[in-house]
Amino acid sequence: MRYAVRWRSRVALGVPAALALLLLVVPLVALLLRADWARIPADLATPTVLPALRLSLTTTSVTAVLCLLLGTPLAWFLARSEHRATSWVRALLTVPLVLPPVVGGVALLMTWGRNGLIGQYLTPFGIQVPFTTVAVVLAETFVAMPYYVLAVEGAMRGLDPRLESVARTLGASDLRYLRTVGIPLVLPGIASGLALAWARALGEFGATITFAGNFPGRTQTLPLLVYVELERDPQVAISISIMLLAVSVLVLGVLRGRWLR
Amino acid sequence: MSAPNRVGAGLDARIRVSRGEIEIDVALTAEPGQVIGVLGPNGGGKTTTVLALAGVLPLAEGHVRVGGQVWDDGRQHLAPEQRAVGLMLADSLLFPHLRALDNVAFGPRSRGVGRHDARDRARTELDRVGLSDRATARPRELSSGQQARVALARALATDPALLLLDEPLAALDPDTRARTRSDLAARLTAYDGVTVLVTHDPLDALTLADHLVFVEDGRVTQLGTPAEVLREPRSAYVGTVVGLNLYAAQGDSHGHVHTADGGLIVTTSPTEGAVWATVPPSAVSLHRHHPEGSPRNAWRLRIASVTMQGQSARIGLVGEVPLTAEVTLESVTALGLQVGQDVWAAVKATEVRTYPR
Repeated sequence: MRYAVRWRSRVALGVPAALALLLLVVPLVALLLRADWARIPADLATPTVLPALRLSLTTTSVTAVLCLLLGTPLAWFLARSEHRATSWVRALLTVPLVLPPVVGGVALLMTWGRNGLIGQYLTPFGIQVPFTTVAVVLAETFVAMPYYVLAVEGAMRGLDPRLESVARTLGASDLRYLRTVGIPLVLPGIASGLALAWARALGEFGATITFAGNFPGRTQTLPLLVYVELERDPQVAISISIMLLAVSVLVLGVLRGRWLR
Repeated sequence: MSAPNRVGAGLDARIRVSRGEIEIDVALTAEPGQVIGVLGPNGGGKTTTVLALAGVLPLAEGHVRVGGQVWDDGRQHLAPEQRAVGLMLADSLLFPHLRALDNVAFGPRSRGVGRHDARDRARTELDRVGLSDRATARPRELSSGQQARVALARALATDPALLLLDEPLAALDPDTRARTRSDLAARLTAYDGVTVLVTHDPLDALTLADHLVFVEDGRVTQLGTPAEVLREPRSAYVGTVVGLNLYAAQGDSHGHVHTADGGLIVTTSPTEGAVWATVPPSAVSLHRHHPEGSPRNAWRLRIASVTMQGQSARIGLVGEVPLTAEVTLESVTALGLQVGQDVWAAVKATEVRTYPR
C-alpha cells in the first residue's frame, strides 16, 4: 500500500520533471547533432563572420571595462549606504534585468537619438550615437551593468565592516582601504560579476538591433549575424551558435567555483 | 580616585552618545602608561565608548583629548585615520589576504612610512610579541592566539597615543587565553601610551589594569584601583564580578544592618546610615541544624543552586538574606546538600564589612 502511494507520487512528480529537463536539454543536443564539426573552422573564417567576431569581442570588452570602472564604485556606494533611497536605487537597477531588451533599445533611442534627451544636445556638434559602434557598447552596457553591480555589491556586503574600522584607525583613508583591502577581498565577486556581465553583453540582441541597427562591420555583432545567416546559410549560423555555446560553457566554468557549487 | 597630575599628556574624555535605548555618559581619564579596565554587563555601553574614542562614532556631546590634542569636542570630530589610535577587537580582524608582516606594516604604510621602513618596524613589532618566525604566514595559517598577537602588534605599530582593546581575549579558548593574557601583560608594560581595555572577564581586568571603570546602562557606577574595587564594591554587578555577597542596607551604631529586602545582618564594624554590607562567600558555613557556638548571624535558607569550581562548590541560597556560600566538596557530600533543601547558614559578625553607600 505504502509502496503504491510512493510509486504514484513518483510518477506525478517525475513526469513533469523529466519534461522540464527535456525542454531544456533537447535543443542543445539538437544544435550539437546538426553541427558539421569539420566545417566549423572554415565557417568562422568567412568574411562575414570575422568582422562580427572582432566587433563582438571589442564591444563586449569595452562593456566589461565600463562595468569595472563605473560599476565598482556604484556597487561600493550601494553596499555601504544604509539610506532608504538605496533600496530604491537597487530596485531601479534591477529593471534592465527584467526589461524586454527591445524596450531597452527604444529607451536608448529616446535618450541618444537625434531628438533624444541627451542626443538633442549632441546633434549640433555633428555627433550621432544611434547606429554606431558606440551605440552597440551603450546597449550592451545597459543590459550587462546591473548583473555586474549586483554581483559586486553582494560581495562587498559580505565584508566585515569592522575591517574598515580597523583599517581606518591604522590611518587608511577610504580610497586606501578600498585599494588595499576592500577590492582585493572582493576580487572573486568582481571576477564572477565580470563573467556574468560579459556573457550577457555577448548575447545581447534586442537592444542592439533596435538602437544600433544591423550594419556589418559596424554594429553587426555575432548574435545579429546568426539571425541573418539563418536565412542565407544555416550551416554558418549553426557553426557560430556552437562557438557561442562553447563560450557560455566556458563562462559557467569561471562562475562554477563561486555560485554554482 | 586621586587627581592624576599628568592628565594633559594622557587621556581625558567625556563620552556622550545615544545608542538605541540607552544614553551613554562616560568619563575616562588616565595618565600615559596606565591601563584602564572598562567592565560592565553586555549592552551597557562599553563598546560604544571604545568606538567613540576611536572616532568611528562621532560624539553627540563631550570631548576626547589625548596627549594634549583635541580629537573631538562634540562639534569637530577628527576621523579615525587622523587620530593616533590603535584598535584591537575580540576577533583579530587581520586582513586575510596579507601576510602577518604586511598586516603589521599596514598602519605605518597608511601613515606615509616607506615600504622598507614600514616592514622593518613591523618586524620589530612582531618580535616584541614573539612572532618574528611567523612573519610570512597568512592569517589563516596562524593559531587564534598568534592571530591575537599579530593584531596587537598591528595596533601598536603606528605608535598610538591611545590603545583600545575591546575584549581582546574573549574569542580564545581558556588555555590560549591564559598564555595570551601574559603576553599581553608583558607587551603593555613596555607601552607608554594610554590603554583602554574593555572586558567582562574580571581576571583580565585585575591582572592587566591599573584602574577599573564599571559602566552599567551607559553610566559609570564605580571607579578605582582593583584593590579598592575588590574591597568595596558599589553595585550589584560589581559585587558579582569581585565575588562578594553585597547588600544595600541601613546600618545603626549597634552593628545591626537592615537590608532592603528586610533581612538583618550583625556586624562588628558598624557604619551608620545608608551602607553597603559585604559577606565573603568563603566566610559562610552551612549546617544541618541551628549552629551552636557564637556565630552572630544564622539564617535558615533554601538551596537554589549548586555549582562546582575546582575543589570547592558555590551554593546559591535564597531567603531572608540571599547568599552565595563557598564550601568544600567534602561538606557538600557530608551535609548531603541538594537543590530545594533548607539549611542553616552561619556568618561571624567579624566577617561582615560595612561602608557608606
